[in-house]
Amino acid sequence: MNSLLVSRRVIFTIAITSFSIYLVFILNPEGALRILINLLTFAGIYGLSAIGLNVHFGWTGLLNFGHASFMGMGAYVTLLLMPHAAGREGEVTTSGLPIIIAVFFGIAAAALFGLLLGLPAIRLRGDYLAIVTIAAAEIFRLLVRDLESITGGVYGIISYTENLQKFRPEFINSLSLNYEFAPSQAWVGIIAWVSIILTLFLLKRLNSSPWGRALRAVREDEDAVRAMGKNAVWLKLQSFMLGAGIAGLSGVLLAFNYGSLETTVFVPLLTFYVWAIMILGGVGSLTGPIYGSIIFWVIISETDRLAYIFFENANGQQLAGFRFLLVGLLIMLLMIFRPSGLLGKKEELLLDVK
Amino acid sequence: MLDQLGNGLLLGIIISVASVALSLLYGVTRIVNFAHGEIIALGAIATLFLSSPIDYRVLFLDKFSPLGLDFFLSCILAVIICGLFGGLLELILFRPLRKGNVGNIAVLVVTIGLSIFIRHLYLLFATGKVQNFPLELQRRQTYLFFDMTPRNLKVLIIGILVMILIGLLLTYTKLGKAMRAVRDSEELSSVSGINSDNIILITWISSSMLAGLAGVFQATINDVRWNMGFLILLLIFAGTVLGGIGTSFGAMVGGLIIGILVQVSVGLPFMEGHTEAKNAVALGIMIVILLFRPQGIFGQKERIS
Repeated sequence: MNSLLVSRRVIFTIAITSFSIYLVFILNPEGALRILINLLTFAGIYGLSAIGLNVHFGWTGLLNFGHASFMGMGAYVTLLLMPHAAGREGEVTTSGLPIIIAVFFGIAAAALFGLLLGLPAIRLRGDYLAIVTIAAAEIFRLLVRDLESITGGVYGIISYTENLQKFRPEFINSLSLNYEFAPSQAWVGIIAWVSIILTLFLLKRLNSSPWGRALRAVREDEDAVRAMGKNAVWLKLQSFMLGAGIAGLSGVLLAFNYGSLETTVFVPLLTFYVWAIMILGGVGSLTGPIYGSIIFWVIISETDRLAYIFFENANGQQLAGFRFLLVGLLIMLLMIFRPSGLLGKKEELLLDVK
Repeated sequence: MLDQLGNGLLLGIIISVASVALSLLYGVTRIVNFAHGEIIALGAIATLFLSSPIDYRVLFLDKFSPLGLDFFLSCILAVIICGLFGGLLELILFRPLRKGNVGNIAVLVVTIGLSIFIRHLYLLFATGKVQNFPLELQRRQTYLFFDMTPRNLKVLIIGILVMILIGLLLTYTKLGKAMRAVRDSEELSSVSGINSDNIILITWISSSMLAGLAGVFQATINDVRWNMGFLILLLIFAGTVLGGIGTSFGAMVGGLIIGILVQVSVGLPFMEGHTEAKNAVALGIMIVILLFRPQGIFGQKERIS
């Protein structure tokens, strides 16, 4: 009976996801493919980030509101290790590590940052953890903006996309000629979705391993885990590092998708976007963030039409404002009426302070 | 370093008032209210709308004209509007959530959604422009050993008076005692004949009025922005946590310390040319405090763990 219910929810979720993709084709008779590829690339990157957040909140019950800083750490470390140009003068650095190694260091740096932040934060109760993580993310952002000599400060980092785009397969270029989409973005999108699949395989293995079971036990009853002789704090820290590392990879992909990196990308609103996706997809669900992310980005990319109904001649600021307004409303309504999202399990949801 | 002390005191009193409000609400309802900043901004935006000259048409999409009321009256009305708004939030949103036994974490996430929602309503209707209250410019004067304008000195004095008043109300009136009783145990206080729903409603209203007042202060000293509440929210958290969350006296002192630290840290030797990072100093101190004394300076140990 229970498995029947679960499979029905999966079918419903897949149906609603397919419908939202269909909606993109209906609403955009021209250039639908270009819009869809843009949307799916963002969905892949944010979905990956939401999978990382789900390891924190869904698996371990850690209230992390500093996710943007993990993404930022991954992105900055990776880009600064590769050939790039940074700062006001656009100082060019031609030497650097190959991309695979740079990305490896980026992920490691994000995971280490997770450990660094987790060490003091992990001993705190849920709501304190929320405050500390969001504060730490702001410290990270302010420091990155301020250390202009290293990070390029407000002027950001440019000229790094070639590190990835030189490996772009030829078939994307030829397809892009026929169907009119941006080949560089499609390449980032493909990598994002491949990363999602690999990450999900890894997490699925971990989830059913003794380690994964111990982690979920920490969420349910920390004292019991301690009584069984497991180190609950170290388990939480490992979870923090794993989720942060996944977020770091998604941050790297986000940087490649934008083409230039600025500190304004990693504001707290980025974290809240990822939270909205995770809740929509289902807290604690492995595949939930994928569907949540696609539906979320279809909503985001089609809200402009809605905004034009309320504001004639809406300007860019109003369009952005309207999007965020909807994100806020979505988070609120989901949390009130359906906190388990599309695929989450209600009994696995940690919603009370322990 | 000392020339920043005046600015520090002013920022401190803003954060202090707002921290007391946040701490009061947390103490009674256990809600970490991320939408607190938006009520602060409401105080400022409402004052701007009430007090700007009638022919002033930059704000509000050209559709509504400001009311052009007396400035002091506008401030009082704005604070009352904030109180009503807070009461409304409790009645239509948070009371049903409480009755439905929605967990603390879920309510925290709801306040985050609410904060994003309201903030962008301001962006849509009050535009992204930086506005100022219709007040004439004043020259700074030296009082004792710090410089500030006569108007800002008034803000400081009013702020201190309000704090003393709140302290007295909480300690000596029946209402204050009831609030503290509900904070310690909702069940026990209802057994003693306290209507906890009413107390929570009154807490929401008074907390929002204090937040609105902080917004009026902030906008008088600096300016009105759609995201002004969110910009200062983390400093308010820092002040609240530093003093010990849930303790009003602690929040007052904690807020004051954070405000002074933020402004004075501009004068530190290693901060030269890095003034933008001044908030990072305060947030860093908050994290360190939580590391060694999670209950804050004045908090009691059983409130955390």
